[in-house]
Amino acid sequence: MLDWWLPENVSTYGRDIDRLFHLIYWITGITAILVFVTMLVFLVMYKDRPGRRARYTHGNTTLEIVWTVVPSLILVILTFLSVPAWSRIKMQAPPPSDFVVQVTAKQFNWQVTYPGADGKFGTADDKTLLDEMHVPANKVVHVHLRSQDVIHSFFVPQFRMKQDAVPGREIVQWFEATKPGKYELPCAELCGFGHSGMKGWIHVHTADDYRKWAAENLTAAADPPAAGDKKAEEPTRDTTVAATTGGQAKR
Amino acid sequence: MSPVVLEAPPLVRRANGRGVPPRPPTGGGDDDGREPAPRRPRLDNVRLAMMFFLGAETMFFAGLVSAFLVLRLAAPLWPPPLQPRLPVAATGLNTLVLLTSSVAMIAAMRARRGRNRAGLVRRLGLTALLGALFLAVQGYEWAQLLHYGLTLSSGAYGATFYTLIGIHAAHVLGALAWVGVTLGLAARGRFLDGPAGPLRACAIYWHFVVALWPVLYVAVYLA
Amino acid sequence: MSATTATAHARTAHDHHELGFVRTYIFSTDHKMIARQFLFLGLIMMVLGGLLALIVRWQLAWPETAVPGMSLVLRETGGILEPSTYNMAFTMHATIMIFFVIMPILAGAFGNFCIPLMIGARDMAFPLLNMLSYWVTATAGVIMLSGFFVEGGHAAAGWTSYAPLSSVAAYTGVNWGQNLWCISLFVMGIGSMMGSINYITTIINMRAPGMSLFRMPLVVWSLFITAVLLLLALPVLTSGVAMLLFDRTLGTSWFHPSGGGEPLLWQHLFWYFGHPEVYILILPAMGIASEILPVFARKPIFGYHAMAFSMIAIAFLSWIVYGHHMFVSGMNPSLGMAFMVSTMIIAVPSAIKTFNWLGTLWGGRIQFKVPMLFALGFVSMFVIGGLSGIFMASTPVDIYIQDTYFIVAHIHYVVFGGSIFGAFAAIYFWFPKMFGRMTNPALGHLHFWGTLIFFNMTFFPMHIIGVGGQMRRIYNPMQYEFLQHQQHWNVFMTYGALLLGLMQLPFVINFFWSLFAGRKAPLNPWNSTTLEWTAPSPPPHLNWGPTLPTVYRGPYEYSDPEAADDFLPQTQAPARAGARAH
Ligand code: HEA
Ligand code: HEA
Ligand code: CUA
Ligand SMILES: [Cu+2]
Repeated sequence: MLDWWLPENVSTYGRDIDRLFHLIYWITGITAILVFVTMLVFLVMYKDRPGRRARYTHGNTTLEIVWTVVPSLILVILTFLSVPAWSRIKMQAPPPSDFVVQVTAKQFNWQVTYPGADGKFGTADDKTLLDEMHVPANKVVHVHLRSQDVIHSFFVPQFRMKQDAVPGREIVQWFEATKPGKYELPCAELCGFGHSGMKGWIHVHTADDYRKWAAENLTAAADPPAAGDKKAEEPTRDTTVAATTGGQAKR
Repeated sequence: MSPVVLEAPPLVRRANGRGVPPRPPTGGGDDDGREPAPRRPRLDNVRLAMMFFLGAETMFFAGLVSAFLVLRLAAPLWPPPLQPRLPVAATGLNTLVLLTSSVAMIAAMRARRGRNRAGLVRRLGLTALLGALFLAVQGYEWAQLLHYGLTLSSGAYGATFYTLIGIHAAHVLGALAWVGVTLGLAARGRFLDGPAGPLRACAIYWHFVVALWPVLYVAVYLA
Repeated sequence: MSATTATAHARTAHDHHELGFVRTYIFSTDHKMIARQFLFLGLIMMVLGGLLALIVRWQLAWPETAVPGMSLVLRETGGILEPSTYNMAFTMHATIMIFFVIMPILAGAFGNFCIPLMIGARDMAFPLLNMLSYWVTATAGVIMLSGFFVEGGHAAAGWTSYAPLSSVAAYTGVNWGQNLWCISLFVMGIGSMMGSINYITTIINMRAPGMSLFRMPLVVWSLFITAVLLLLALPVLTSGVAMLLFDRTLGTSWFHPSGGGEPLLWQHLFWYFGHPEVYILILPAMGIASEILPVFARKPIFGYHAMAFSMIAIAFLSWIVYGHHMFVSGMNPSLGMAFMVSTMIIAVPSAIKTFNWLGTLWGGRIQFKVPMLFALGFVSMFVIGGLSGIFMASTPVDIYIQDTYFIVAHIHYVVFGGSIFGAFAAIYFWFPKMFGRMTNPALGHLHFWGTLIFFNMTFFPMHIIGVGGQMRRIYNPMQYEFLQHQQHWNVFMTYGALLLGLMQLPFVINFFWSLFAGRKAPLNPWNSTTLEWTAPSPPPHLNWGPTLPTVYRGPYEYSDPEAADDFLPQTQAPARAGARAH
């Protein structure tokens, strides 16, 4: 069906969101049309004509009950339909994966850190890229989101993914891209004069393309491009994983 | 210019809310259809307005206290290590001082009902005195704490402490000024047989700032 | 607490001639004069807020080109906006529009004007407090404006001023601007508290004989509920800005993780105020529409009680939905779930109101006078804005559209299509009573059609580019490859905005021309039933002669078959004893 101006979706849960989106398009669209048509009909039928007297009525209980109950039902159903997607995307623990990247936002960059060979963060062989992220397609990716200064927002339109990065917390998000390509990663939360233009690129590779890229760029040989930024990262280092449960940062 | 306060229509005004509560409104009440009759408000304007004013004040402090609790509960250690402890005992006594001032205020109101001007003035004076004493002790404590190195900028601990207690102190100060003015008017014989609205409003507000304190004391000092 | 109505009688009419110019026009305690003062405050601020909006639009359509006229202000850049200037522009646009346009006009002006006149009171319960509330609000306005002239420019962290961006000067480079923003809102909070206390007390205690709660016009109901929300919501903002100000100036760390603070705390405080606030903006407009539709449909409002109770329901629910602004903020997702449920529910009372408005039109004798047109415009635009709210209420969908132009579209359909249309309707409807002169219908029609058409031209495409992914609060969409293909919409919308601004001129002209040269208004130009139309236009000090009107029936008795005329004023005594309740 038509995409209603939505950008192409290339993530697994993006479909769920789009489906809801279209459902609401229909609900609200039909409601709007009903309301406007009725209104116009009334305006034409009942415009002031000499000699006609307005109908003298103070309301109609059955009617009022109907148009209270029907929207309530629609909305309740809509709520129930929204729950699964929400719990899949944000509430439940993300699907297990061994692919973890740490994204630390700062005015006005995305610092993307890979654990390196040992698979641990905070060790010498970490690699930090600036405004650039490489992931394999069809693989669940865990993003450990942090911020050094103000609130930023990790937004990937084609993934239908958005999550604020809050200083003093680490928030775990996940996505699974289904189509190799190069996707823009804008910052969606006002974070200062550089907010506009704070963006990175997510490169989604096929499995073996990714292996090639990793071999060339994530091996200990290649020197960390943005090592300076990793120092500045220290303050948030000791934050316990508050996951997405919004727990307070302990220190 | 003296505030022109227009009361509800004739027959409505009662001697200011003393004695038996007025009958519930008729006509103007919610009984449609019945012949309109003059309404009698349940509460006179001033007391009603004070009620809503306190409602707003409550929301203001609710904002502060809940914010404090959020930070307090998030902190692993409270008070944080190497930070001076708050003087719980001394402040406890100070709390009693403030509570007594409320008693004095009640007595003052009783004196007014007894048409006893001297008593009214004396007891209002006592109220103000106790309030001032409370502030003085608080001020002394602050001086001590600052001296021990607890400042506004020493983390959430200092920040919340000084903000909450400071803002309450500011309210006490305001109430104190109000009592002062009221006292002056009382000394000139207002309220005794004239309308006592302003006096009552002042009393209500005083009781409010006093009642607020134990809450803050428990939240900030004890909890 | 001095003057009883007995003395009030003595002071009627002739009295306010004795007052000097200052006491009559500037430091007046007359609710009608205070209403006019609020109205002018709001309209003047609207020009400023609107011009800021046009600057924003220009930058979005033709990024980094000189904005006409701005070269006088931004000399060093020759009129080209810098990102920081852009942020300042939309921040102050929103702040001014919400706090110094809609609130003064709807709650301030029409609250003051309608309440006493429509419940049959001579004035507010505390006229002096009323005067203070205006002057405190005006002071807040001056403080807010002064921020434009300080070093570092005005606040630039959005009208929501999320910490820590707003709480550390270094992050925005704005220093005193943000402080003044806090101080101004603090002062404004005090002013509106004075006002709301006054409204509530007046409505509870000062209704004329026979004016029972359920004989009150719905606009009075709406203002009553609005006042309660104002009273309880604004103090929370006040406490929030106090903390923000302390963080900025005294080095406290309420919102700084480094000092044990919590950034999300600000969002919780702000939105706990913020959501009731948006209903503060819409409720009076709803009341106004419910007031105007029956008059020009010559028909009782459909489901009076449902209308009143749905507003009460909105007021209660508005406290438990605020989290829908924070779905992706990092707030606990199961909370998000709860907030989705409450947000969906809060749409139901609005549904009831919408359908009752339609019911009021059904079988009416509809007269397309200017106030009616704006009231109808309000209903339709509010429906569009409300329906877009449903998208965001659904948490998964909000993940995608949060902080996109879809939100901006929603904002403007509800606040401009809703509140501002309501405000215009009210201005055209009560102008005769307020200033004693009729407005010019031709200019009125021009203003309405121009505003309606260009409003939609400006804001409807925002849905499209929002769905396309364009973030809000961005300085230059062309910096993003995935947005470039829809830039033509931005140009289109900017033309719309310019024309929309232009179409406000008929209003300005109409307003001032009618003010001095308009046709003298009769007592009751619209054949309306409510009390204000029984007072002279404009009403004198203390509104009525020696005796207050007495109320015998509900506010919407139009086209009663048993009545000779097609409307029965509330003051008309029933023919037989035991009048029918409305
Ligand atoms: C006048 C102001 C006003 C009003 C009345 C509303 C009304 C509503 N708003 Fe809106 N809102 C704002 C002003 C307002 N809003 C502003 C300013 C923001 C942005 C703040 C910022 O971030 O800067 C915002 C943001 C906002 C968000 C956050 C978006 C985000 O940042 O991610 C959400 C999310 O749920 C939301 C939802 C709603 C809903 C569900 C309603 C409902 O009350 C709407 C109910 C009405 C209807 C639904 C239409 C009529 C009903 C029918 C025709 C019946 C049939 C309907 C159905 C069966 C569905 N609003
Ligand atoms: C009351 C609320 C209100 C009103 C009326 C408006 C009106 C307008 N708004 Fe605004 N707007 C907001 C509330 C409002 N807005 C809010 C809350 C935000 C979010 C800010 C944020 O993100 O922090 C926002 C943000 C916002 C943005 C997004 C900025 C961004 O995110 O980057 C844009 C962009 O187009 C915009 C445009 C406009 C335009 C073109 C108008 C036009 O309708 C303006 C047209 C009016 C005029 C041009 C004035 C002329 C009027 C007269 C001359 C009559 C005066 C009468 C007398 C003197 C008698 N607004
Ligand atoms: Cu980072 Cu916006
Ligand atoms: Cu909201």
